[in-house]
Amino acid sequence: MTLAPERHSSRERPSAATGTAAAGQARAPTRVGAYPWAMAGAVALSVAGAALSLNGVLRGWAWYLPVLTTVMVVCFSIATLRALRAHPLLVAAGGFGSLIAILTLTFFRSTAIVGFIPSGATFTEVGKFIRRASETVLAESAPVAPNAGIVMVTCTALGLTVILIDALAVPLGMPATTGLGLLAILVVPATVKPQSVGFWGFSATVAGYLLILAGAQWFAPDSRTSADSGRNPGHVRRAMLTGIVALVATLAVPLAIPGFDHGTFPQGSRVNPWGAGTGLNPMITLGNSLRTPAGSGRITYATNSATPVYLRSVTVDNFDGDSWGPDDRDAERRPVAGQIEAGYEISAEEQVRQVTAVDTGSFTSPYLPLPYAPESIRGLNGAWTLDPATLAVKGSNTNSRAQQYLVVSSMPKITATALQQSSPAVRGISADFTRVPGNVPDIVRSTADAVTASSTTEYAKAMAIQKYLRSGEFTYSLQSPVQGGYDGNGLSVLADFLTQKSGYCIHYSSAMAVMARLEGIPSRIAVGYAPGRATGSTVSVAGQGALPEYEVDARDAHAWPELYFQGLGWVPFEPTPSRGVVPAYSTEAATPGAPGLFDGNGDLLPGAQGPIPTPGASAAPLPGAGSGANDPWQQLIPWLLGAGGAVALVLLMASPRLVRLRRRARRLRSQDPASEAAIPLAWSELRDLGTDYGLPPLSSETPRTYSARLRRSVLLGGAGGMDEAAHQAVRTLTSDFERRHYGRPVPDAAGGATTEPVDSRITAVRESLRNNAPLPRRFRASWLPASVLGRWARFLAAPVKGIRRLALPAANAAAHSWSRARDGLFRPRGNQ
Amino acid sequence: MDSHRRTAVNELTTPVRNFTDVSEQVSHLNGHKPPAMEAAAFHAASQRILESINTVIDGKSDAARLALTVLLAQGHLLLEDVPGVGKTLLAKTLARTIDCTVSRIQFTPDLLPSDVTGVSIYNQSSRLFEFRPGAVFANIVIGDEINRASAKTQSALLECMEEHQVTVDGDSYKLDEPFMVVATQNPIEMEGTYPLPEAQRDRFMARISMGYPDQDSEIEMLETHQATSPLAKVSPVVTAADVAAMIATVQQVYVSQAVKEYTVAVGRATRESPLLRLGASPRSLLQLLRAAKATAALDSRDFVLPDDVVGVAESVLAHRIILDRKAAGAGETPHSVIHGILSRLPVGQNPVDSTARSSATPAGLRRNH
Repeated sequence: MTLAPERHSSRERPSAATGTAAAGQARAPTRVGAYPWAMAGAVALSVAGAALSLNGVLRGWAWYLPVLTTVMVVCFSIATLRALRAHPLLVAAGGFGSLIAILTLTFFRSTAIVGFIPSGATFTEVGKFIRRASETVLAESAPVAPNAGIVMVTCTALGLTVILIDALAVPLGMPATTGLGLLAILVVPATVKPQSVGFWGFSATVAGYLLILAGAQWFAPDSRTSADSGRNPGHVRRAMLTGIVALVATLAVPLAIPGFDHGTFPQGSRVNPWGAGTGLNPMITLGNSLRTPAGSGRITYATNSATPVYLRSVTVDNFDGDSWGPDDRDAERRPVAGQIEAGYEISAEEQVRQVTAVDTGSFTSPYLPLPYAPESIRGLNGAWTLDPATLAVKGSNTNSRAQQYLVVSSMPKITATALQQSSPAVRGISADFTRVPGNVPDIVRSTADAVTASSTTEYAKAMAIQKYLRSGEFTYSLQSPVQGGYDGNGLSVLADFLTQKSGYCIHYSSAMAVMARLEGIPSRIAVGYAPGRATGSTVSVAGQGALPEYEVDARDAHAWPELYFQGLGWVPFEPTPSRGVVPAYSTEAATPGAPGLFDGNGDLLPGAQGPIPTPGASAAPLPGAGSGANDPWQQLIPWLLGAGGAVALVLLMASPRLVRLRRRARRLRSQDPASEAAIPLAWSELRDLGTDYGLPPLSSETPRTYSARLRRSVLLGGAGGMDEAAHQAVRTLTSDFERRHYGRPVPDAAGGATTEPVDSRITAVRESLRNNAPLPRRFRASWLPASVLGRWARFLAAPVKGIRRLALPAANAAAHSWSRARDGLFRPRGNQ
Repeated sequence: MDSHRRTAVNELTTPVRNFTDVSEQVSHLNGHKPPAMEAAAFHAASQRILESINTVIDGKSDAARLALTVLLAQGHLLLEDVPGVGKTLLAKTLARTIDCTVSRIQFTPDLLPSDVTGVSIYNQSSRLFEFRPGAVFANIVIGDEINRASAKTQSALLECMEEHQVTVDGDSYKLDEPFMVVATQNPIEMEGTYPLPEAQRDRFMARISMGYPDQDSEIEMLETHQATSPLAKVSPVVTAADVAAMIATVQQVYVSQAVKEYTVAVGRATRESPLLRLGASPRSLLQLLRAAKATAALDSRDFVLPDDVVGVAESVLAHRIILDRKAAGAGETPHSVIHGILSRLPVGQNPVDSTARSSATPAGLRRNH
């Protein structure tokens, strides 16, 4: 009661100065009660709570104090203005003003007038801050260091969110929609952070949101929704209950469903709105890049090479662990300067030297895309370091965005002959490239052995593996790894890939690299770009004249294996079907051109015999490979599965109907109205019939009132006409049931009951319902009877009800103590 | 005032004369229950009574039926409404329809308890104190404007109502059966009224508001009541013995377990409702069920349906419950609260859930509020 005048005034606040203020003038002319403060507190709690989840997007907690100050100041000024009954527009303007003042005070004190009024110089500062923030966003990977620019942008965004939420909740009177503003904050960590929002941020946001709703309900009840007091404790109880259930579900569901670390949304494939690879593992982002519908991160290059070149960013050589990634070897890196040595012995006489001019455009990555093997790089901005073992170039304080550079690269001329003659003894490279991981799945090992069983030289083995992977058995697919749950990398993924025989370049290249290592060939996976397309234009490069230009974008992202051959160095292979350019030395076409090359290895090239070189019965059969005899069956299997699925679908669709028909038959089995159970069963059947035709009995209805409602409804038609039989049947069933259920239990059960068999009465009712119901309702009653579906739904909901029953006392207790606390806190003392 | 007193005394002459006979009859009634009436005879008798009342009071058949229900359920009836809508007429008609003793007490602020119950007077000739029975010694007692009397006098009548006996100077005198008090009162906002306390309102089985008649009934009333009082034409259609037999019939009406559970659920729901400060007492549930039995009997049934309970619940419970302050402020009335409770309370018409209902009811209701 004490709050009644305050509620009144807050609801009619625009006219408060004239109307209600006069009424309350005698006691407290300016008092509007706790409403503005409660709402502002709730908004501050929700926004500050949501901001908690930004930890992880921004590093550490140093940024939180300015954020908290901003939110508090804006909320406080809004609440103050509202408590003074300012015009709503003035309240919003005050919110903006206080936001500008607190931002100025926090970030631009030196250039501002009196510390918090922005001056002209302040605006140039703001521009600098915003540029810095955008650089941070583009160049750094989460969590970013909280520099002044990004913190200022965060504070501004959160301050604006506060004003938005407050405007939605109070003057517009739509407190439920404030969730959108909060969601806008939570979306950022949810998409950027691998561990998503986090418990505390989420809980605090939910609590603040519920408080906003509760505050709006208590202090400004919506006259449309409830006629009684707006402070009905039921609202609190319901809100508490809903909140608790939602929170428990949110926390429990991810534990129960193992779907959030792989599958459609693996951690690595969170939305990355700023182009390709901002420092995340390139192995992981590669799949996403390939799946982007429109290519982004366009790179153009011009080369004097006869064929377009592969651009290599980084290599992966450590195959241990669950998830592979580039090993930066930070200790061994040295600055990129002058001539770059390949670092291994090259004995080939003929070197092919290429000049390539690269323009990275908007492509943003810490790694520099280069044609292999770079000898010198000119024109780079910033500091770049080189890993001598892999020749991968990485920015130490910069990234690849908007770089233009000229690369001279050289490779020995690689021919099949040279490869064939390469010595198996490997010298002069790091043991990193030869180490066989400990936990190779059996299928990888057995496949590798089976494929290379008849090959003797290193080159033949490599060719055998590539030939196996490029065979018709494997299909290139970006989607099937996602659907099959093995979209990622690592040895277990490899096992899945060899079983499913479908994947994309990551899978092919890692399969070849690992299998090569198992067979003793040093290997690594190169990640970068396939050659791409000619743009048709030319670029003039100093000293080279006009060179044809090519372009690549995210859709050309690629991975391929590099195998080490003594004397030739790292030789790229292309096991991925339909991607990239297969080097001449690794095509089958190369082999006929060099007759006698494979004289001793005739079965290396089985030609038309089949895709798998499995000579004789001695070789182990390849896992998953079907024999010819199974072919007709294999063709039949989809048909059988389809037919079985169709039958199952039909059965499933029909099952509510079947259950309903069976239930009716069982109920009406005993037709004699004199028998003990016939009438109650018939009454249940009548109720279910009504339910099926959209007239379910209410729990508070007596049999008589339900029967009357049934007879009044249009579905049973008018009494006296064609439907008289149905009316009569409903009447007699009702009176019989009343007598049976409420009457004196008499040994002569037939006493007073109608002697007509119950099933004919039920049939009469059903006929009338069918004749009068419109077609959709008739269909629903036949095929999706509400009585059956409702019972199933109740059955499924039983555990939820159990939880509710447990949670209810807890919620009641919480609501009780809360209302007591609220009464103590908010009731103005001495007023009335 | 004196004229009122005189009227009361005049009407009392008959019972005084028959006093000894009446007391014999009472003991006789207590010894042997009167035989129950046949269903057909019961129906005919009740129809006669209702038709007779309806000839006098136009357009109030519901009120007449409820008055008869209360009579057959051995309860007392409270008629509350503004002056001039026919409260007293209904009470008098009901009394006149039945061939039994009737007394009328006009309650005034100076009415004394002894006027109601009777008084012991010293007889000079016999030199003994003789008990002169008061106005309450009758089958049907009409208490007119009961809330105009002082609390003391009200209490004297209410003791008789509850115990069907009168105690004067240490001697108890049994009252005649059937015994029914039909009290009328003006709404408590009217001037010069002493509102009945809750405990005394609780003694009345049902409270009826007559309400204004509709247009046709009112026109008809103007015509028929023009020359003579229609009351004069009413002659008794049943005897007191008939009524006793009808009451015995009502007592034999069967109440199933399901209906008992439902009645208790109604009572519990009123006690748990946040809109009510005071819910229905156990005595009120007893009276509710009795009224339901009478309703069932008037409907020619020998068993009670939940519908019977629902039908009388508002009249039986509305004057006993007390609204919460907030609910009253929000415009709720006792009738609306009871209506709301009944429209939410599960009946359990499905024989399958009837066993589970009693445990599920309180929780279900609490959730609905």
